[in-house]
Amino acid sequence: MLPEAAELLVLAAAALLFALVFAPAAASRRNLLVQGGTGMVATAAIAVVPTFDLALLTIVGLGVMQAGIPGKRTLAVRLRAPVLAVAVLAFALVFLRVEGPAVLERFAAVGLVAGLAAAVGLFPYIHPFAADEPVAASPIVWIAFVGPVLAAVVLSRAEGLLSVDAGQALAAMLIGLGVINMAWGSIASWLTDDTAAAWRYSFLADWGLVLCGFGLTLSDGRRAALLVLFGIVVGRLPLYLVSREPRAERVTSEGPINLVVAAALAGSAPFVGFAARVLLLRGATQLFWPLALVLALGMLLWLPGSLRLGRSLGRPRGRQAFGVALAVAVNVAAGFYPLPLLAAAKL
Amino acid sequence: MPSAAVLAPVALPLVAAGVIAVFRLAGMRLGRVAAAIGAWGAVAALLAVWIPVRSSLELTLGALGYGSSFDLRIDAVTFAFGLMIATPTAVLLTLQPRTWQEMSISLVGLASAIAAIEGGSVVLTALAGATAGTVAIVLLETEDPRAPRPSWATVLAGWLALSWVGVMLQVGGGTAVYSAVPVATVTAPLFAVLAVAALLASNLFPWRTWPADLWSRPSLRAAGITVAILYPLGFYLLVRAYELGDGRYPNPLFHAGLAILGVTAAFGAAARAQAAATRRKFLGEVIPFFGGFALASIAIGTALGLVAGLVLLATAAAMVACLALLPDRAGLAAMVSIAAAVGLPPGLAFGARVIGIEATFEAGDLLGLIGVAAAAAWALLMVGGARAIGLPGGRGHPATETFAGVSMAIAVLTLLAGPAIAAVQTGFANPVATEVMSTSALGGGLTTVDTVSSVLPAVTLFAPLLILGVLVYAVAGTSAIRTQSRAALFKLPEGGIWQRARETVRALTVPEQYRSILNIRELEIAAVGGQPLLWLAALAALAFAVTR
Amino acid sequence: MIEGVAGFVAWLGASVVVLSDGRRGLALGAALSTLALAAIVLSGAGPVAGIALGVGGLTAAARRLTVGVAGWGIMPPGSTPRFILCVGGGLLALWIALGVTSGHSSALRFAVITVAGLAGARVLSSGESSVLLTSVALLALATAAASGLTEEALAIWPYVGAAAIAASVGWLPQSAPRAA
Repeated sequence: MLPEAAELLVLAAAALLFALVFAPAAASRRNLLVQGGTGMVATAAIAVVPTFDLALLTIVGLGVMQAGIPGKRTLAVRLRAPVLAVAVLAFALVFLRVEGPAVLERFAAVGLVAGLAAAVGLFPYIHPFAADEPVAASPIVWIAFVGPVLAAVVLSRAEGLLSVDAGQALAAMLIGLGVINMAWGSIASWLTDDTAAAWRYSFLADWGLVLCGFGLTLSDGRRAALLVLFGIVVGRLPLYLVSREPRAERVTSEGPINLVVAAALAGSAPFVGFAARVLLLRGATQLFWPLALVLALGMLLWLPGSLRLGRSLGRPRGRQAFGVALAVAVNVAAGFYPLPLLAAAKL
Repeated sequence: MPSAAVLAPVALPLVAAGVIAVFRLAGMRLGRVAAAIGAWGAVAALLAVWIPVRSSLELTLGALGYGSSFDLRIDAVTFAFGLMIATPTAVLLTLQPRTWQEMSISLVGLASAIAAIEGGSVVLTALAGATAGTVAIVLLETEDPRAPRPSWATVLAGWLALSWVGVMLQVGGGTAVYSAVPVATVTAPLFAVLAVAALLASNLFPWRTWPADLWSRPSLRAAGITVAILYPLGFYLLVRAYELGDGRYPNPLFHAGLAILGVTAAFGAAARAQAAATRRKFLGEVIPFFGGFALASIAIGTALGLVAGLVLLATAAAMVACLALLPDRAGLAAMVSIAAAVGLPPGLAFGARVIGIEATFEAGDLLGLIGVAAAAAWALLMVGGARAIGLPGGRGHPATETFAGVSMAIAVLTLLAGPAIAAVQTGFANPVATEVMSTSALGGGLTTVDTVSSVLPAVTLFAPLLILGVLVYAVAGTSAIRTQSRAALFKLPEGGIWQRARETVRALTVPEQYRSILNIRELEIAAVGGQPLLWLAALAALAFAVTR
Repeated sequence: MIEGVAGFVAWLGASVVVLSDGRRGLALGAALSTLALAAIVLSGAGPVAGIALGVGGLTAAARRLTVGVAGWGIMPPGSTPRFILCVGGGLLALWIALGVTSGHSSALRFAVITVAGLAGARVLSSGESSVLLTSVALLALATAAASGLTEEALAIWPYVGAAAIAASVGWLPQSAPRAA
């Protein structure tokens, strides 16, 4: 198994554990355990299976199982994105395996990028979202739970399959989509009417950084991507879960904890997002310095949305307050000293 | 001295913050004692580490994971800026009552700021400085979310820019450690980004920014701490930039440009100060004036200018504590504070400004004009100070937060310290110049300040002035001072250009016929609607793009 | 020759799935595509792979025969665009399989492209659960069949996995959407 994928799997398991322990009262822990456990198994399968075909089949299976969970969206809406992802990835595999003109490899690169974006739910393949849908049935599962492992698997396999020319095309597309997702996600998180949608867009913005990191094709880019994925799975996702209190109790608040959470979500120091941004800037500077300038300016867009999301936590009490503190503390530790995380992923 | 001692100034406030929080969660209040111990402990640690040996002490603990090692260092620069940050913070934490959250957050901010200046590499400084900025914002919002505070975007932008500088140094020169960066790596574009980072970190601009705005908050507990821990950091970067560039900035235009910016900022502060409607508003411009003048002195590029700037910053640090403790009501404390702030002779501010102006003349070429402009700004501030004595006090602050006696004592101390400016320069500022400019120490010793072309006999000149001033006060008291309201020399435009520009931009609307295209809500609905056609079109677009 | 016919039958089956709304039509289309893919895979990956694929697909077809909209529903009113999609998609897949790409088993290339493409398009264009699940089953089979395009030694697992998915999707509980 890829060390990165293994590490992300462990982090996903930790996030599931967090959800079980600190889930809002309205959620059924038993359902969460069954659904989350199944998702974990499927995600692990994506990382463990020896061939890419099996990974695609696992995605199909996972998509179908998730579509069967009772939710607000129709079956068609929930199936479309994973099916499109698998179809496009399958086409990519076909183009890689057959002999033909060199442009086929570029189309394969298109398929890999588009398939990944469709599976995770990134722009322009944003999954339709219903604010009051259970988390297990919502697109958040793809973007924050399965997606990180999937991205690591797809992009690492792509490295071995693509030629240099096609690899450069892949990298360029990843950076292009990354910048677009950064901008879209951060601005939408700030301006959208619904707070739950704002949370979802904030995941999108972080994924923009991930795509840019993978697109940089340098070790610093991979490290940055890993740290952002860490922040998504162990920071943003747990905080999102805490924010989903039942409507009657939900209030917005601006106490110290809300601002600290906002800082964590914005990628401010000393949280892991800042370390990731430093690495991303380093990678971009090595490759093409104007890109670093664009990234640095884009990073400022996180702030307004993050302040909004921080306030949406309200005043966490008791167990949830402890959960928030735990998520924040882990982020601080990783932000200050990310070396063990990177070493574990052999980066 | 063991290397681990460099951790003490950072660790002590952090431990104190933790202890306060833990005890409070356990139901016990420790009050200001713990906060005072933590903050004064940092001061004591700095003194204990530096004074016995007066040479660099460094601790390197290995890689952190983002191209930087855990590298902390206490040298002359750290010592000077550390005292500037820690001492006023300690005074405020000792005297002003706060909630336990505010105490803990303040101590974390202090630790972060000290970590920023102890950081041995640019990246570490950026990380710690950004932390200090974040903590300061949290502190201000915790105290009063509706009161003015720095824009988080500008704070973060400055430290992001610095982290970019750090990674550029790593990429171009292999390291971002201050003492190891190859000089050739510090190019003009890189320095430009560093300068922008420094200016954003301290908001050193000619228009009114947070170093002035914060003083108009209803309470000055958080404002004082924020200015104490954040304001010196931008200057710190500009001082370290000398070390990076082996004693100079990469282009003479940077010296001139930053100096001009500094004097413009000082002039702007003085202009606003003389038009202030209340004494509190006048005093709010004091720190920006000090900062502008200090920037001009530091940026001029000579050792004399650097030491003058440092002494000014040290005086400003004292004034931060003074202003935060000063009540708004009229009285002797207010008068003495104004006298110290405007730089009445023979105070420390007076001496440092004189040396700073002298440095611009000695720098040569047309840089002397900067000194002339600085003198004009100073004169304007003095006029404003004279007017401010007769102004209404301001909105007032809770009595428990103000300590008129202590405030006055600090102001008096800066006035009394004027004759000792040579000693301050020798012990406090000279080692910094030696460290970063790789020059020999300025001459003069404890009683005089040697410049290139002359000698300032500080003790013999200032001490009699001081005695004279004390005698005059003893004889006449304050009866000779007329506290009447005077008109401003000139009024500033109401609302300001920026405000009007912002309102104009906000009032802009998309023409009716284009609204359907630029409707953000519709765009969002289209993007998240899961439209298969859109998805397929995106796929086709990507396929088309890769064939180009 | 057999492979060529199998390729055509695979396209035909996928087209029937695209053009049908009723369970009988869907079952017929699924069965045709399954048999065609199994025949092609049989010659390439061996009998076990072919049989696994066949069993999985036929199970899906059999399940479809019992669940869904009653009747055949082949080419209902308004299905002209789908018809054009089938013809156009088939021609495009043929061109890619024969004219653009090369390598062993052009029939496999054609079958995979046409079945995966048409199944994917059907999922994107329909909201009926029986149609969606049948298309998903076909997509799984096509994905597994694509593993035969590689020159490496073929493992059995993709085929078994696809068969399991195809066989089980028909049993997915089809709950109506509701609030949390």
